[in-house]
Amino acid sequence: MTSEPKTADQSLMQTRPLTRRYRYVTWLSLSLMSFLGLMILIVYEARWVYPEIQAYFSQTGNLTGQQLATRSRMYLQNAQSELLAEQPEEDAVDAAIMNIELAYGLFNVHVYRQQYECTEPSLVELDRLLVQLQLEAREIERLTAVGELFTPIECLTHIEMVQLDRRGEAINAFSESTRQHNQVLTYASLLIFALGLVFWWLHERQLRRTDRATQETFAWMQRAMSDPLTGVGNRSALYQDVLAKQDQSLGLILVDIDFFKQYNDAVGHPQGDRLLRQLATLIGQSLNNEAQLYRLGGDEFAAVTPCSNTATLGKYCHQLIHALSEANFPHPAHPDKKSVTLSVGGTCFTAGEKGFAVAYEAADKALYQVKTAGRDGWQVTEDA
Amino acid sequence: MNAVASYRSPWGHARGRLASLLMVAGLTLPVVASAQALNVINGDTTQKIALSDLREISDTTFTLYDPYQGREVEMQGVAFQTFLIEQFGEVPPALHFIAWDDYEVTLDGWDDPNWYLITKEDGDPLTIRSRGPVRLVERDYGDRDVENLREFNDWIWMIRSIEAKW
Repeated sequence: MTSEPKTADQSLMQTRPLTRRYRYVTWLSLSLMSFLGLMILIVYEARWVYPEIQAYFSQTGNLTGQQLATRSRMYLQNAQSELLAEQPEEDAVDAAIMNIELAYGLFNVHVYRQQYECTEPSLVELDRLLVQLQLEAREIERLTAVGELFTPIECLTHIEMVQLDRRGEAINAFSESTRQHNQVLTYASLLIFALGLVFWWLHERQLRRTDRATQETFAWMQRAMSDPLTGVGNRSALYQDVLAKQDQSLGLILVDIDFFKQYNDAVGHPQGDRLLRQLATLIGQSLNNEAQLYRLGGDEFAAVTPCSNTATLGKYCHQLIHALSEANFPHPAHPDKKSVTLSVGGTCFTAGEKGFAVAYEAADKALYQVKTAGRDGWQVTEDA
Repeated sequence: MNAVASYRSPWGHARGRLASLLMVAGLTLPVVASAQALNVINGDTTQKIALSDLREISDTTFTLYDPYQGREVEMQGVAFQTFLIEQFGEVPPALHFIAWDDYEVTLDGWDDPNWYLITKEDGDPLTIRSRGPVRLVERDYGDRDVENLREFNDWIWMIRSIEAKW
């Protein structure tokens, strides 16, 4: 029997730290983290793509920008042109030798020898041809030499084609990879963006709920501090307002309706309630709307006004009695056959917890004196 | 790398025999006269440095894996930074190179002791056929991928002239 409440308490104690721990993981932070994640993803993808593009498309103008095979082939073709050109034998051969030497240098690369079978025989062919061209007693006709260059040129063309194919395949692979990355980026971006929006919407909803709860709390506090019948403040509000005006010179006026019980008995409580509302309005107006008005209980009101001296306060009290007299609310059960009358007591005081208690007592004493003197009047005591 | 260096195909043997024949023939054959000097240009002044002189001042020898040849090569040359200071008084901000194959490039950042101007390879003078007569290489290229020749774009071959860019 006793264990059940204990279990409930324990579960509360366990969940509280968790709640506290996750209090800071709000929808707003999740939303912001989503958008941050989106930014990071985009930057990462951009950083990935850029070096790849560099690798494939920024090789122009440097040593390996143009294939060595292409350059070598061009020199061999230049050599052929020199050999076929109408020019002195020696000039033609010297120019051809120079071009073949250059072609050889660009052709004789490890990667070609390793990957293309035609490279080694072609280099041997070029070696042999150079020897024949360089011998003083030249052993080869120019036209024959031109013909012998076709085999290395064919090899170089083959290398070029394969290299071009490979580059094309690499670019295709890169293109496919980029397309896949783009797809991932697009869908991931959309997902993260949607998540960000959802989190943002949850954040907004939470904000609205919090705002509504704050407004409800505020309204509840307002209701707790006001009199539901007349709409003026209640005793708690009086106490709180006076404390909020610490050290200010204030006047406290206590108002009591004379013979209100008889009034209620004669005309009924609904009419009595109406009279209370009318009096609340009248008291406020007669004090030039400068006073804060409170209902302390059944037939008792209090008003707090700025008060520089007791004469001013007396003036307020006089205005109040006079306004009521003019209003001439009928009182069918008044023992003195009068209309509704009030007994009013007041005092000036300096706001504060202690000062208010003293002032309340002094004003109540003044009110009591009015009542014992026959009611329908006012009295202000010296400063409390 | 060593395995690649020791590999010799039948075609390699044939080329070796032809090279021997060339060496003998070279004594009597006309040489390509134009590839006998390096032009060093500083403003309006052009100085021709004989390749034989360059070979004589090549006081540094080291062994290096040459990614273009795919084997360890003994290279002999001169520290390029020192060479530049001797030629221009200081290391120019940039250099414009023209190669025998008409390749041209301007590069900066030569105040670096890692670069060497190579004149001999495995004890033999570089020729145009062996991507000479002078060539620039980095003595230490760190952990760069030797299979990726793009990493060695700055190794200038067949240098014909070096011009200071101030």
